[in-house]
Amino acid sequence: MRERAGGFAGKVLRVDLSTGKIGFDDTVDRYREVLGGTGIGYQVMWEEVPPGTAPFDAANKIVFATGVLAGTGVPCNGRTAVTTLFPSCWPKPLVASGHMGGQFAAKLKYAGYDALIVEGKSDKPVWIMIRDGMVQVRDAGHLWGCGIRRTTFEISREMGPDCVVAAIGQAGEHLVPLSVVMNSASHSAGGVGAVMGAKNLKAIGVQGSGAVRIAGDRSEWERLVKFHLSILGSNNQHVVPSFPHPQAEYYNPSSRWVGAPGRRWGAAEPPVEINGGLFDLNRIAFRANNGVFYLGEQVWQHTVRGNGCTGCPIRCHTIIKVPSVAAKYGIREVAQNTCVGLLFGRSFFRTLPGGLMSQAALEASMVGMHLADDLGIWCNYGQLQRDMIKLYYEGTLHDRLGSKEYASYSWDKFENGDPRFLFEIIPRIAMRQGELAHDLGLGTGYLLDRWSIPETAWTGDMVSSYWKFGHPKHHANEDDGQCGVIINTQYNRDAQCHSHVNFIRNGLPLAIQKKLAAEIWGSGDAVDAVGAYTPMNIHKARRAKWSLIRKELHDSLGLCNWMGPWVASPIKARGYSGDDSLESRFYSLATGHQTSREELDRIGERIFVLHRALTIRDMGEIDMRRRHDLYPEWIFRDSNDSQPFTKGTIRMDPLDIAKAMDMFYEVMGWGKESGAPTAETYARLGLKAVAQELAAKRLVPGAQP
Amino acid sequence: MDSEKEREIIQVAASGTGMDTVLSRRQFLVFSGRAITVLATMDICRAWGSDSALVILDNAKGLVVADASRCVGCQRCELACTEFNDGRAQPSLARIQVGRTINFGPEGSLGRNQAQGLWGGGTFSQDICHQCPHPVPCATACPNDAILADPRTGARVVDTSRCSGCRLCLRACPWDMIRFDEESQKATKCFLCQGSPKCVEACPAGALRYVPWRNIARETAPRTAVFPVISAEKARGCLDCHLGR
Repeated sequence: MRERAGGFAGKVLRVDLSTGKIGFDDTVDRYREVLGGTGIGYQVMWEEVPPGTAPFDAANKIVFATGVLAGTGVPCNGRTAVTTLFPSCWPKPLVASGHMGGQFAAKLKYAGYDALIVEGKSDKPVWIMIRDGMVQVRDAGHLWGCGIRRTTFEISREMGPDCVVAAIGQAGEHLVPLSVVMNSASHSAGGVGAVMGAKNLKAIGVQGSGAVRIAGDRSEWERLVKFHLSILGSNNQHVVPSFPHPQAEYYNPSSRWVGAPGRRWGAAEPPVEINGGLFDLNRIAFRANNGVFYLGEQVWQHTVRGNGCTGCPIRCHTIIKVPSVAAKYGIREVAQNTCVGLLFGRSFFRTLPGGLMSQAALEASMVGMHLADDLGIWCNYGQLQRDMIKLYYEGTLHDRLGSKEYASYSWDKFENGDPRFLFEIIPRIAMRQGELAHDLGLGTGYLLDRWSIPETAWTGDMVSSYWKFGHPKHHANEDDGQCGVIINTQYNRDAQCHSHVNFIRNGLPLAIQKKLAAEIWGSGDAVDAVGAYTPMNIHKARRAKWSLIRKELHDSLGLCNWMGPWVASPIKARGYSGDDSLESRFYSLATGHQTSREELDRIGERIFVLHRALTIRDMGEIDMRRRHDLYPEWIFRDSNDSQPFTKGTIRMDPLDIAKAMDMFYEVMGWGKESGAPTAETYARLGLKAVAQELAAKRLVPGAQP
Repeated sequence: MDSEKEREIIQVAASGTGMDTVLSRRQFLVFSGRAITVLATMDICRAWGSDSALVILDNAKGLVVADASRCVGCQRCELACTEFNDGRAQPSLARIQVGRTINFGPEGSLGRNQAQGLWGGGTFSQDICHQCPHPVPCATACPNDAILADPRTGARVVDTSRCSGCRLCLRACPWDMIRFDEESQKATKCFLCQGSPKCVEACPAGALRYVPWRNIARETAPRTAVFPVISAEKARGCLDCHLGR
């Protein structure tokens, strides 16, 4: 493989901030078996960060790792996984990863590095400069206290305008657990900003001029890239448009494919009229407009353009220009983000004048983006705002917050959806000012602890969307029944898995989904219509396993699991099927190492099981089933008291969920009682050494110490 | 080259265009702009045994033009350029340049005007090769006559067998569009992919088009101050035509 190696940049960079030492590992020699991304992250955490380490200890490490396909022309490849001990994970910090898109991953690869491991802790503020082979730790005294925007400008003036800066804002500096590291204006990894802050690391600036080599035949590579483009849908792999169109057999109003001939980017100069064929590969970038999807039709007139990660034709970030906010709120008139990032400001309000798609809502969103993306705050997938709303409207804030502090907020603005309220709350969260703001920034688990609120007050109420360990659901039973529940039990923060929901929500009719499911998971019974769930079966368990493996594969190859996998397509002539061998075919061509779909899936499973082993080790607990793989009570409740498995409810049945976990553990090769991988499973995945270490601590089912 | 010889060459060139009448001095001046392109096509200076180095290239047949307001900054054009032509993903080598304006727009980060790009008003721009007309800055600067017109497209292309890697062409391009391949130690530039530009094919927003050539050299602000060094032989070639007119 070595002689024709491609894909990998070749080196992993280590920077020890305690000693200033800079070192390099050979990626292929040391990390090939875990690909990259979260794979490298988990391996570093396993080998180098001892159990019992706290997130802000110098002994904790933070791993910025991308993958083989990052920086190439493979669609949707711009991801960097940021792995560390999560300070928001409650009641005990455990390993997790945030993922950022933007330009960082590609630049790091072009500089010659597959990953950056930051160790130790500096005794003064610093930033890391990477310019191809030159790596320096530079003073950041002048940057400390600055927002992400100013930090990026300052470093860009030092390094050049086309470097990429990943920086923390004031929230990270103040060790707010709900803080981000952000690059390229709007691409952030949540939950890790404070870990950087604890290391006195303000930013990482990267400039790279090198290449990612494609080992295989370039014509074959070109054909595969074009094929991949042909089976793309829109954001979250919605493969049908959201509107009826003569060129499309199906449509689905919930699809994020909102762009169509006749629409226009009204704030472009000159405005861009969307025209051409619906499936034209030279028009893919017009399909998604998350600004419109989340903030309403009015956003078309404010759209400057779509934006996104390096190499991704689906522009899930929307650049929005709203001149009125500059005059009204003294903020920039241009902002951009995607998904819940767009909604950071709007989500603080339960009611807004004119509703969720109103001008007021748009302005709240603009103010929220302006503040959060500069101060570097993480919303914990919207949980921060939901917690605030629940605390207020249930009267907890009024009853328990000191009267002086309570009076310092304009609650009339909060109740009336006035964006000016955001200037009162968001900066205080970033600076840890006052009890409310301080505690909101800790994350839900620690917040509840400090306010002596039992976790059950949140887990019993679906409105909170709270799941466990301080974090909310992420596409659980509301989207995908038992499969969603299983997936949401597995991680130490919100699941961030889209493999399952991107299939269920692709917009195709159920009959076609079932046909595809039969080909992939052995039976059409692997899927149900949303809100019309049937009892658990083994095919759903297989789909859950496949979904988790694909997520880890994407997170380790540098691909976007928010966009993948690509098992369905918009192409009628293909029966709407996609191709789930794409990842392995790209991997084989990029590296020159022929790897089958099954082999790559095995590596994905190894990475996922390594995450499991880390969780078991760091919890010091083998009984994952009862101590870790938890689900909230609200999944068993229905406001209309509809019974499980009746149409129109997402209510699950306790016995059926227990059966679902049984089946999942079975297909994973884990102990059914404990939910912990068996020695045989570790061995099958090439993780014998991991098993031995865990067995010595009685953390493998049936193992003798 | 004496004036009689020059007139003779021009007449041959005129013949090559079908305008083989005897030209007046005025007609000669009007016509010479077209005729010299034919001269270049026929490599007639060399055929005549002239010792002048090549300074004249036929105009290109096409060029890639860009619509900045449609560009989404994905860099798929840069990636297609290098992956499909060179077998590696390397935007720094791409013969179309987008990444350098994504963050702050064409003005850069030093803040002369309000920032553009991701960190400003949201405007990116794609820098493209102008396939310049005579005098082609990069070709004129090349001491080895390594930049030639591709016979099929007229694209100015680098003949790597002649390129010595001196980088004088990089200094000559006002738009900073000549790239240097550190691996091969050769210059490279947009060669229009033999008439099917990969970048145009790859753009997901229809922001690039391959169109019949026109002279955009004077419509675009230079990106960089140029310091071309022209070899003595090239300079003599220029004087042959321009002196005394």
